[in-house]
Formats: sequence, structure tokens, C-alpha cells
Amino acid sequence: THPEHPLCPRSAYCAASVASLTNILTPALFAGTAEWIARCQNWEGGIGGVPGMEAHGGYTFCGVAALVILKKEHLLNLRSLLHWVTGRQMRFEGGFQGRCNKLVDGCYSFWQAGLLPLLHRALHARGDTALSMTRWMFDQTALQEYILLCCQCPAGGLLDKPGKSRDFYHTCYCLSGLAIAQHFGSGDLHHEVVLGVPENRLQATHPVYNITPEKVMRAVMHFLQQPVPGLEPGE
Amino acid sequence: DEIGLIPCPEARYNRSPIVLVENKLGVESWCVKFLLPYVHNKLLLYRQRKQWLNKDELIDITCTLLLLNPDFTTAWNVRKELILSGTLNPLKDLHLGKLALTKFPKSPETWIHRRWVLQQLIQENSLPSLVTKGNLGAVPVERIHRLVQEEMNVCSEAAGRYPSNYNAWSHRIWVLQHLGKLTVKVLLDELSSSKYWVSMHVSDHSGFHYRQFLLTSLISRTVTDNNVLVQNQMINEQNPSLQKEESAGAEAACAEEQSVDVPCHLEEELELCTELIDTYPGHETLWCHSDETLNNSHHSPATSHMAQAMDVDGLNESSSKQGYTQETKRLKRTPVQDSLGPEMEYRFIDKVLSTCRDADQARFATAYRKWLVTFLGQ
Repeated sequence: THPEHPLCPRSAYCAASVASLTNILTPALFAGTAEWIARCQNWEGGIGGVPGMEAHGGYTFCGVAALVILKKEHLLNLRSLLHWVTGRQMRFEGGFQGRCNKLVDGCYSFWQAGLLPLLHRALHARGDTALSMTRWMFDQTALQEYILLCCQCPAGGLLDKPGKSRDFYHTCYCLSGLAIAQHFGSGDLHHEVVLGVPENRLQATHPVYNITPEKVMRAVMHFLQQPVPGLEPGE
Repeated sequence: DEIGLIPCPEARYNRSPIVLVENKLGVESWCVKFLLPYVHNKLLLYRQRKQWLNKDELIDITCTLLLLNPDFTTAWNVRKELILSGTLNPLKDLHLGKLALTKFPKSPETWIHRRWVLQQLIQENSLPSLVTKGNLGAVPVERIHRLVQEEMNVCSEAAGRYPSNYNAWSHRIWVLQHLGKLTVKVLLDELSSSKYWVSMHVSDHSGFHYRQFLLTSLISRTVTDNNVLVQNQMINEQNPSLQKEESAGAEAACAEEQSVDVPCHLEEELELCTELIDTYPGHETLWCHSDETLNNSHHSPATSHMAQAMDVDGLNESSSKQGYTQETKRLKRTPVQDSLGPEMEYRFIDKVLSTCRDADQARFATAYRKWLVTFLGQ
């Protein structure tokens, strides 16, 4: 699909993610994309699949991450977004739901909790002085409890919730969420909260690309050293 | 009118696995592991140009495949080709999709294909004559209306089969936007027909979100029509004798649409929320919906624009649009803000807190009060 009309925050995120890592991101390529994503933010504060649709964890992460890459997070109402996502952590289970009044699901440990680092960074850039220097704005311990105690398959791998079977998707996003919950900040401002034994500690993941920060840097460096591809085929 | 899988791990008798009872199709589960790879393979060979299949065979094979696995995009795409070449009636795909959704109410590919088919159907000119048979020979408006109604039914069924069915509800919204053109009539019809459904599914956030969509669309519709009305009146003032008949027609249409009482609908919505919250304690969706409805009623541009239009109307002596004038009088008599005032909401919250025994309900009520204080500054 045409980047200007992604028709879905997911495709916008995939495109922005790839383009930024491979150094082919140009304003022309994403003209109108940021504005379209912002239109997908609704009255609940989260982002839906298309403008007018219900706010949904998956779409919200993709939309926000894409905007962070495009440096246009300010187009969103960050306050209502913060209100929505923090409301999605379940007070009994500790994990996150994907939408209001739905059940907890391990994969939202990343899609939802992963929004807090992005919001933290965006609000910090705006000069917000109330931000913590040690914690994200969700209960990191409770999320780790949910993942470790409820989302592990005895035979290995992770899952949605007790009773469900394991799959690669849930394994990936439960672990990603666990990494987010364990690591605050980066560099000098890094603060760890590891629930249980030290062996539970995972490496930190990059909150935008969800690969390790080191891999992000290597990818960016690699492509920066390549000649930028021309627009004409066969050039 | 419905399909399903009959759990039957072994073929005990030497007979067909297909079971047809009262127009419902069942397939015994033991045969699926033979049937699915067989038809799947046949289709792939066709696509790879290794084995030819004629049109009828293609229709049969894709039909079988899709009833077993409707997320098989290739099969839908083969049917797209058949439709475009005029061999397959697009209505058949609407029916096939409807059937598939009885077993797979979320199936993204089914919904996507459905939107493609509907887009084909509303493009009058490109239709092969095949489609005008049957009851679709009617006037285009009538026909589109019927399509819209059918889609509303399909969505409703699918939404009932899977809680908070995101794909079904977004399809429903798409149909209203692209086929129903978001007319006031369509919006009001949907508001009244979805009322019963959401009352029966009080935790279905998607259902209530749909009502928010209807209300917000109504609000912006009213604003647009108001602007048109105001503009027309200004033109009339300047050129009273010019084009009176033409603009009267347009204004009459606007006046009819103008009789939408947005504040009244918002109030009814709030009453519905209150009633449901009382009846079914502890459902977060209902409280969220309440929040947003109240929010809309306070910040509704419709109410402020109506006030403006009111003044213009007062100056224009020659206005004879009864509906509009009566509406204006009603607005003047009862200021909108008070009837949806926060005082009423505080009383409601107090009542809930003093009588409820559900911990979640108490929590939601307290949070709602906090929200009222913060966001409304009251």
C-alpha cells in the first residue's frame, strides 16, 4: 500500500521501522502518514485500526512507534493516551488487556506496556518535570509476576493466559514485555527491577524496534555506510 | 444457513461425512485431514499452471476450501478473478462469506473480501448482467439500502458469535461510511436497532463504541447541515426572489435532517447507561460509555452551532420551515447544559455507591466521580 495512506497503523510501523534502519527514510516517503495515524486516535485515548475505530493495543503501539520514528508524537493527545494505556493494566492479574473490558493476554505485555517507555521519552522531550527517573508509569513488578507465574508453558515457551497453548508469537511478546518491565531507561539512567532470581533477568530491548539496542545501532551504522539507493530502477 | 464441524475422530461407518439437518451443514471432523490437503493441493496446482481446472470446478473447490479455512486468501482471490470475468455472481460470495462467518466470525480475509465484493456491487457500470437477475433489478437506492441492511445483520450475527468482535464492528462502520454515506436516517436507524443488542451484551466494548461512533457522526452531520442551512438563509436574505424553488427543496431536506434532536439522543444514551449500570453492576464498558457521552454533550459543537443558527433564524422573518422553528423554540426554552448537568451525575454516583455491593462497581463509580471533577472542572 501507498505509504501516504497506510490503511493500517501496522503497515505504517513496518515501513517506518525498515526505512529508518536502512537509511532510506525521506519526508516524501511518509508525507501524510503521521497525520493519518493521529486521526486514528479516538475518544478513548488509544489508537484504532482506522479513524473511527475502537482503541486497540496492537494498533496503538504500532501507531505511536511509527510516530516516534517520524518524530511526530506531538500530533497525538499524549495525556489521553497515557490515561488509556495505564487503564489497561489489570489490577488483579497484573498483565495487560488489549481493549477495555476484555481479558488479559500475555502478548499485550509488550504492545501495551511498551507504550510507557515511548510516552516517557515523548513527555520528557516536552520538558515534563513530574517524570520518574527510575520507573515507567506502570506496575513493573505486577507485570513480571503475571508473565513468570501465569504465562509459562511447563514444556517451554510462553502463552496468552493459563489454559492456552504456547506459540512463537506469544513467546516473543511475553519475553519482550518482560524485558520492558525489567529495564528502565538506558545508559546513565538505567535502573533494573528483576522479579525473582537473578537468572530471570533478560537483556534490555529497544522500545521502538524491539530488538536489542546494540543490534539497532549496528544496523543503523551498517546502512549509513552503504550508498543510498537511487530512485530509478537499475541505478 | 450455518456450518459447523462435528467432532468425530474416527469414521465408524462407510458413509458420507456430510450431515445436513434443517438447513445447517455439518462436516464430520475425521474427513478434514483428508479433504483439506486434497483441495488445497488441487488449487495450488492450478495456480502453478500444472493442472487445469474449469470454472465450475474452481467455484466448487474454492467454496470447499473457504468453508474449511476462510483465511486462505488465494481462494478468495481466485473467486475475485471469476467475478471480474463475469463467470461468478458476486452475490454468491456474499452468501459464502456469511456462511463462513457462522463458524469463523472473526476471519479477517472474509471481511476483507466482503468489502471488495460490496465495492464491485456499488459500481453500477462495471456489473455484468448476471447480477441484475433476482431481486436486485430494483432502483439503485432501494438496492443499496437492502445491501446495507443485510450487512448490518451479518455484522450483528458475527458480533454475537464472538465477544468484542473488532473485525465485525469495523466492517459495520465501513458499510455505513461507504454504502450508507452516513445519512441521518441510517444513523438514527442504527442507533435504535443496536440499542437492544448492546443491552444484551453489556461488556461488549465494541458494541458501545459503535454507538459512540453513531452519536459523533450524528453530531458532525448536524453541524454540517446547520452550516448549509445558515448559508442558504444568508443567500436568501440577499436575493429573496432568486432560485426560491431550488433552495427551498434543499432546505426542506435540511430541515428534515435538522429535526434530529442531538441533545435528546445524548440524554437518552445517558439514560440507557444509567439503567444498564444499575441492572448490571461492575461492567467497565458501561462507565466508559457514560463518560464519553457526557463529554460529548458538554463539548458538542452541535449545541453551540444551533445557538448561532438560532439567532440568524430570528432575524429572518420569511422563514417558514416549521420543524426548524419549533426546534429553535425548544432550544430557547430549555438550555441544553442543565438537562445533562453534572449534578444529576453526582446524585447518580452517590446512589450507586450507597446501594451497590459489587467492589468493581464501587471502584468504577468512584473513578467516574474523580473524572467528573477533573475533566469538567466542576
